[in-house]
Amino acid sequence: MTQSTDINTKKQKLVAIVNSTAPFSSTNGRDALDLALIFGSYEQATSLFFQGDGVWQLTDKQDATLINSKDYLKTFAALEFYDIENIYACQHALTERGLIDSPFIINNVCVLTQQAFSDKLHLHHAIFRF
Amino acid sequence: MHSLAVIVTTPPSSNLTATALHFIESALAQGINVVGVFFYQTGVLNANDYVAIASDEFQVIEKWRLLHAKYQLPLHLCYTAAQKNGLSEEKETNNIACYFTVSGLGELVELTSAADRVVQL
Repeated sequence: MTQSTDINTKKQKLVAIVNSTAPFSSTNGRDALDLALIFGSYEQATSLFFQGDGVWQLTDKQDATLINSKDYLKTFAALEFYDIENIYACQHALTERGLIDSPFIINNVCVLTQQAFSDKLHLHHAIFRF
Repeated sequence: MHSLAVIVTTPPSSNLTATALHFIESALAQGINVVGVFFYQTGVLNANDYVAIASDEFQVIEKWRLLHAKYQLPLHLCYTAAQKNGLSEEKETNNIACYFTVSGLGELVELTSAADRVVQL
């Protein structure tokens, strides 16, 4: 992509996109995913984080069509094609919500303790939160 | 000189937008190079020409115009978000204030890359 040549000559920033809200009651999750895919298409190093109610976005077998919403969670499967492979979830948030043993919608989610989650986030240079 | 990019995600009715505006004004007053402001989510409503704010309230829309006029500050609009929120740049129905630049999320990638710091409000 020609647009990416300029920015790739600069020192790359590590970009973190943090999801902190449940999937369908707001557009936050969709807007965050759109942004992640754009950063991915510009070949920017991008990681996804899920904390608080954001971990509900990772729950498998949700049927958004039952509540007249677009099932954007299916698009998580496309992340690997955009080279977005660093996906982190907060263990504490999962435990709090009884989701710690539930299957995820994608299989490369790395579950981290609160401390490790925080440490990982701090390695990034730009953080977007939704 | 330090450079800064700012992302605004809240509508004109939100107090958080006034905070974002004051933040940008302070940065500019201190000589920080603000490379651009990007409006995403319902933040795009700040570009809606039809928004009317009661005269005894904080005129956030007018403030964006003045900020742009004074500093030639680029105000970028995510057009996908804009369309979802009833904004249009079609000739007959245009309701996007002229001092906004209609852009896409790619512009946010460029701003993130260009600035030392990115702050989302």
